[in-house]
Amino acid sequence: MLKRQIPLAIVFLTGMATLFGWFVDNVVFETFVNDTATQWFDIIASFAMILGSLNLLRVQGEKVLRRKRNWIYSIFAIGGFFFSITVGFLFRGANYVEISDLGPNQGAISEVIASAENIDPKIAAVTLSLVEENEVFEVSRIFITESGAKQLVDDLNANGAKAEFKSKTWGGHILEKGTLFNWMFVYLFTPLSATMFALLAFFVASASYRAFRIRNFEATLLLISGIIIMVGRVPLGSLISPWFVLYLIVLGGGIVSNSYFKDVKRTFQITTGGILVVTIAGFIAGWSPDSIYFLSFPVLQEWIYSVPNIAGSRAIMIGIALGMVGTSLRIILGIEKSFLGE
Amino acid sequence: MMKTLLDIIVKLGSVDRRVIFLIIALVVFLPLIFPVGLTIKPTDTTRRSFEAVDELKEGDNFLMSFEYGPSTKPEVNPMAVAVLNHAFRKNLRVYITCLWPDGQFMAQDVLAEVLPDYDKVYGEDYVLLGYRPGNEAVVKGIESNIKGLYTVDYANTLIDEIPMMQDVNSLSDIDMVFSFSAGYPGTVEWVQYGCDPAGVKLSTGVASIQVNEILPYENAGQVLGIIAGMPGAAEYETMIGKKGFGTSGMDAQSVAHLVIVLFIVLGNATYFIERKRSQKTY
Amino acid sequence: MTGMEIFGAWIAVFLTLAIFSFLYKDNPFYKIAEHLFVGISAGYWAAIAFWNQIQPNLFGRLWPKVDGELSGLKAFWYGIYNFFGWFHSGIFPEGGIDKGHEIDIWYLIPFVLGMFMILRLWPKFGWLARWSMAYIVGLAAGLRLYGFLSSNIISQIKGSALPMFDSVGTSINSILIIIGTLTGLFYFFFSQEHTGIFGKISRVGIWFLMISFGASFGFAVMGRISLLIGRFYDLITYSSAEYFHASWWVLGLIIIGLGIMAFKEKASPESH
Repeated sequence: MLKRQIPLAIVFLTGMATLFGWFVDNVVFETFVNDTATQWFDIIASFAMILGSLNLLRVQGEKVLRRKRNWIYSIFAIGGFFFSITVGFLFRGANYVEISDLGPNQGAISEVIASAENIDPKIAAVTLSLVEENEVFEVSRIFITESGAKQLVDDLNANGAKAEFKSKTWGGHILEKGTLFNWMFVYLFTPLSATMFALLAFFVASASYRAFRIRNFEATLLLISGIIIMVGRVPLGSLISPWFVLYLIVLGGGIVSNSYFKDVKRTFQITTGGILVVTIAGFIAGWSPDSIYFLSFPVLQEWIYSVPNIAGSRAIMIGIALGMVGTSLRIILGIEKSFLGE
Repeated sequence: MMKTLLDIIVKLGSVDRRVIFLIIALVVFLPLIFPVGLTIKPTDTTRRSFEAVDELKEGDNFLMSFEYGPSTKPEVNPMAVAVLNHAFRKNLRVYITCLWPDGQFMAQDVLAEVLPDYDKVYGEDYVLLGYRPGNEAVVKGIESNIKGLYTVDYANTLIDEIPMMQDVNSLSDIDMVFSFSAGYPGTVEWVQYGCDPAGVKLSTGVASIQVNEILPYENAGQVLGIIAGMPGAAEYETMIGKKGFGTSGMDAQSVAHLVIVLFIVLGNATYFIERKRSQKTY
Repeated sequence: MTGMEIFGAWIAVFLTLAIFSFLYKDNPFYKIAEHLFVGISAGYWAAIAFWNQIQPNLFGRLWPKVDGELSGLKAFWYGIYNFFGWFHSGIFPEGGIDKGHEIDIWYLIPFVLGMFMILRLWPKFGWLARWSMAYIVGLAAGLRLYGFLSSNIISQIKGSALPMFDSVGTSINSILIIIGTLTGLFYFFFSQEHTGIFGKISRVGIWFLMISFGASFGFAVMGRISLLIGRFYDLITYSSAEYFHASWWVLGLIIIGLGIMAFKEKASPESH
């Protein structure tokens, strides 16, 4: 009962409540479904993220303790994890300086601030001139170490100001720029994350060369559509003359006729005839791209994008949505129990 | 002669994939060092996005939602910069939310890049509400009760102390939403749980990989225009007359696409030659 | 440029090039970077989730900031808070958590469900996480059912009602979209065998789906190349004198490292 019936009951109650929340016109019920229940969802989802992190630590830790294959690298995973936990929960690295009184020597103060913030002293002087009397001024530079901030406090106080050392609030330290957490995000997390994705560009190119084959009509459609989108979407596409596209169509026609008639002579005649017709038409039109603008890559791309592509995408979307609706109903009614591990 | 040519094509077809990697690296790297400056022509979907923002009046409430991270920053960030420039030029009141945690850092980067050119006051002209976890539940929360969800902004300032939040209680108080999306949660969630139920205008800029997913919504009028990937960002930059990162990458993008198309053609040429030769053998 | 920024740039370049070194072959540089990514991401997401949701919205509602003397049950409740605060005064600052909330004891429910989620790590009590999962799954199912029905089915069907008696071009395009959508949907009807007329209709549907997949492929290529441009842009930035030519030095070191590994591999007896 505890392991099966109660979870199924929870799913049924929350699912039905959320569903009826779209239709029932009762303030208390709507407030619960739209505000409270969704807040609870957010909170439990956050615990799920923490669970994921802890589970990762457990898996990598097991690899190290049991000396599994490549266990040395798991030390880096654990090290990285503890570094980010330290930076997130134990070491704020978000120290800054607040000046409550600029003192009589504003010129020297602006020099000190300019040096700390790495800006032009003139800009610092202008910024300080806008500070009103009794207004507290916060130096925008964030120091990872306390000593760095305290050094600035000493320099400012030595020049007649009244400066104070402070730290950003816990919680605020992960969202402010310049903190140690932000440093980790910019110089560790971002390059790792971005480069992992960028790596796929090379594999896409390799796959295009080695695996993308026109084995049947459907594959040909896929290929042609892909090529037109790729070329038509970039500035280079508009530089390619539609007459060149017309020649490509003639050559394509030649290939198709060869696969039907399987007669080299006939293929040659069709292709040569096509090329001649296009060349004559080109000369008559003065090779003006406007005369057959509808064959330019950007226009072809736009048509493929907004007509057959939409049709296919819409069919996929409706198909997936029908499946989603069915699955959601099955989950709410307790028919689908895969989330219980059954 | 013909046979020699065909032999060369077949040999090229079995080249080590590391050679392909090197070629791709070079065709992307070299145009970044030696830019050509190709002309960019906006597509219809980008134009519709631009017009949707352009139709807003001064003082309208404009919500920008950041749901992308560093992995898709090169694609989506330039369009966010361009749209924020557009919004500030039109003196819209900009509300910034994030459905992804990284989105908050992305939003701060965009603000840092754009703000120096304008005289905007935090809390009066723009506000960074920040990130809340919960995916579609967050969109639902914004749709029904923003202040219940965002009790403080990103800097922990109480929401009631922010002037431009006084008359904004739910999504229906927003004139337009612009979602910068790279996956889940993103534009789809804004359509399903936010803008469709509330009847609020929505436009979007998405990573290229998500374009086809959003296209049916755009065609059905649920989304007003799509800025598609880095080329879309370059088009929007052209339309607002301010070149940025999107434009600078277009030369490399163009050459790389052309090279990949040539790879496909060459790969298939090799395939057909080998197939014909094996058929002749039997 | 501060010392930390320059140091950070060198680390960023090393991590970027270490991951790119996988293009040559799987190697220790790549494995180190990959494992670092896994570890740092896990800690990063945990910190973000905690400080953005759990601390302000959960603890901030269970123990909001209070002024004045406490008595009775409230004193006992905040006594528990002060005990937690002894461990970490940042998470539990003195006097309560000031996030603009009123005390709401019903939030003990998500707190308990959240703790049940964490108990998944212990096999003996892991089944309790089913209750938390049930809540999440139930709420998501209720949200998605209506959301997908309304926006992905009804609105899309409405959107397919296109003008068919407009200009010639628009009419043809509208007819094509309707035919493509219907035939594509026919293809997904797998409980009927795709033979005869139904098979022919499905075949047409496949053609439209293939064009759509081709467009998706084109966009996928576009996206990946854009991301690569972004990485190269950063590497070019970090190759400047401001960063002491970090990109060149690190590239050289990694190439030397890979060369030494290749040489050792060739020379080792196991390779023969």
